[in-house]
Amino acid sequence: MPDMIQSRWNWALWLGFLLALGALLCNAVFFVNPPGQRAIPWLSVLLAGVSLILLVRGLQRAFGQPRVYRGKILSSILALVSLLLVGVAIFSFFQARAIPASAGAPKVGQRAPDFTLADTNGQSVSMAQLFAPGADDSQVVPPKEVLLIFYRGYW
Amino acid sequence: MDPPEVSRDLCRKAGYTFTFLSDPNAEVIRRYDLLHVGGGTDGHDIARPAEFLVDSARVVRWVNFTEDFRVRARGDEMLVAAKSLR
Repeated sequence: MPDMIQSRWNWALWLGFLLALGALLCNAVFFVNPPGQRAIPWLSVLLAGVSLILLVRGLQRAFGQPRVYRGKILSSILALVSLLLVGVAIFSFFQARAIPASAGAPKVGQRAPDFTLADTNGQSVSMAQLFAPGADDSQVVPPKEVLLIFYRGYW
Repeated sequence: MDPPEVSRDLCRKAGYTFTFLSDPNAEVIRRYDLLHVGGGTDGHDIARPAEFLVDSARVVRWVNFTEDFRVRARGDEMLVAAKSLR
């Protein structure tokens, strides 16, 4: 008797894999500092969550109806790789939020602590010097404001 | 945190022309309560990201403390903050 069962494409598994990849690739977006980037961490978590649901559904199909959705081994490998991507995406999310509260940092209306630090040529620069006439591009009037950017080192 | 030589390379590659200061001993980072203990990739202490707009009376007029270190203030947001003070 010929095999009457029509084999079907396990789309849930493949879509789950693509969303897992998307969840992880969200991390690359931050380097271009796009508008609306505050939503991207949550988008990443959303993609990871939907991916997990699809992976479970895909595996259920692969193992529940192996004659329809062929490739138990392939689906297991794909699910495992996807799970790894989802794991890294979720880990990045929590790691990126594990930053100190900085309760003692100067707030709006408070005085910014003075400092003197070396610039890239090793010359000492103080806060007062940053407000001196000619400290910015105008070269004539003193800057009205100074923007202090603290960063994590190289990024 | 990086020494001036490392920052000089960064500035050259990135084309930064603004004043770029180094705080290798995290002295000022501590003064601003921004030290992220063990936050570096190899476990050393670094600064958490933060941006302050300070006026000529040294008063903080605008701050940004991100909840997620991947999300930083954008240049246009900082310009809007600066223009709103004028």
